[in-house]
Amino acid sequence: MIKVEHLCKNFSVHKKEPGFKGSVASLFNRQYTTKKALIDFNLTINEGEIIGLIGSNGAGKTTLTKILSGIIHPTSGKVSVLGFNPWDKPNEYRQKMALIMGQKAQLWWDLPALDGFLLLKEIYQIPTRDFYDRIEFLSEYLQIKEQLNIQVRRLSLGERMKVELMAALLHQPKVIFLDEPTIGLDLTAQKAVRRFIKEYRKQYNPMMILTSHYMDDIEELCERIVIMKEGQKVFDGNIENLHQKYASKKVIKLHVFEDDQRAELINRFPKSLGQIEEIGKTVQIITPRENVSESSKFALNCSEINDFSISEQDIGNIIESIQRSGH
Amino acid sequence: MTRYLRLYAHFLRFSFSKAMEFRVDFFFRVFMDLFFYFVQFVFFNVIYLHTNMLGGWNIDQMQLFVATYIFIDAFHMTFFANNTWWFPISINRGDLDYYLTRPASSFFFLAFKEFAANSLINLLLTGFFLGYILFNYPEPLSPLKILVFLPLLINGAFLYFMTFLIFLMSVFWTSSPRGFADVFYAGEKVMHRPDGIFNGYMRKFFLTILPFSVMASLPVRFLTENNETSILVQIIGASLLIYSIVFILWRLGLKNYSSASS
Repeated sequence: MIKVEHLCKNFSVHKKEPGFKGSVASLFNRQYTTKKALIDFNLTINEGEIIGLIGSNGAGKTTLTKILSGIIHPTSGKVSVLGFNPWDKPNEYRQKMALIMGQKAQLWWDLPALDGFLLLKEIYQIPTRDFYDRIEFLSEYLQIKEQLNIQVRRLSLGERMKVELMAALLHQPKVIFLDEPTIGLDLTAQKAVRRFIKEYRKQYNPMMILTSHYMDDIEELCERIVIMKEGQKVFDGNIENLHQKYASKKVIKLHVFEDDQRAELINRFPKSLGQIEEIGKTVQIITPRENVSESSKFALNCSEINDFSISEQDIGNIIESIQRSGH
Repeated sequence: MTRYLRLYAHFLRFSFSKAMEFRVDFFFRVFMDLFFYFVQFVFFNVIYLHTNMLGGWNIDQMQLFVATYIFIDAFHMTFFANNTWWFPISINRGDLDYYLTRPASSFFFLAFKEFAANSLINLLLTGFFLGYILFNYPEPLSPLKILVFLPLLINGAFLYFMTFLIFLMSVFWTSSPRGFADVFYAGEKVMHRPDGIFNGYMRKFFLTILPFSVMASLPVRFLTENNETSILVQIIGASLLIYSIVFILWRLGLKNYSSASS
């Protein structure tokens, strides 16, 4: 279990006026400003749960991840992860956790991944038989077996992420921090990483905290999401809660083949029911939840429909509007 | 302890694989360091063409001193120098992050993971040279003293490395690219001079607070002079002081470590 209580983290940042004059001034009279990365942050995560941390750049997601993994000390507040205080850095805790940072490599750049794994075997004192079994399972599942003997720097970005995932999971951690694991990957590689995380979770059930800017990662993997803004939590719940609380509207999509029928539908649709717009051969209606039935009926009666769907608003747009409004 | 030795064996293996990939670098460093050692030896021999004594030492003691400090330098270049190069970079770039999440000493990783396989050639050559100088030393040297002298050499290299780390660890607070490395480089030349040329407070300073004279001069004094107990106490005292400062600074530094933004 992870328990975070009243967590605060401030960074002191050096401020400098632009240009040469500013550089000279800062040499003799340095100005500092305090950046509040986390403000009175509270969070509880239960065993086996996977949560998605969402927020724009500078929202405090990575700071939170680094405090939970014991890399940095907080300014104040209490944290307990699996019963340990992370920044005391007890080996028992570090033996049970893993951190994967999409933007930072943990394996030796000039050596094959397998050499790096052997070092990790020693660090985590993994029994030889278990080690090779896990290599077999992970490489098989990630389809990366052939690349394990190639220098890490010669691998593609997607392959590199796969071997990084392997490196982080060899010791079978109980809690995993995934900081943007799919960043920069193409769609196929993103899907492969997501599929793997899902499967791994099914099999080993670790606690996971995922930070990502890709909504597909969050929607596919996370049961619960925490939205952060300027160091504070602005939403904590599952995706359904998010829709109920923030998505007051639904999206109706109608595929109308005939141009004149589309034009007629757009002209006749009552403005009081919602917004209507034409996107190619599709007509899109964004309407309040209570008007969904009436709007659908009107559209279906008005024209000859080739295809029809009702969906929730795009989660990315909802989050963006929460980020903008702050609640 | 055996676990860390096994980890170090991995570091050695990785370093050899890496070093042999870059052939030009491999041989360049060997020649560069050998040239430096040659110049040091010639420098003192030229001085002794004009004088019989320097800082209370004759030419035989001085040759032993030069052989000692070039061996210490080669030891440092082989085991520590690459780590001192990467040390501030790893802290500033946030590479320390991963080491901090491992169930092993993060200091061990940052301080010892890089081994300079090419400098090993120089370490062997300077070792032979030191052996030659010891074998041909005109005064009789006690075998027991020679036995103690060898760990004192290793301690000299460790002391040099640890003193360097004190200057580098300032990056935890300054975030500057090299910390106070340039200040260290300005001071470390003292190690290449016999302690006898310094007097008064200056001498005390280099034997305690900045122990550059403890690294090579005192081991040579231990070997060639009679007050060995007091010299040994002085070496152990200065070493413990520096090792303790490194330990405390590392703990404080980690507390202040802010990693790097993602």
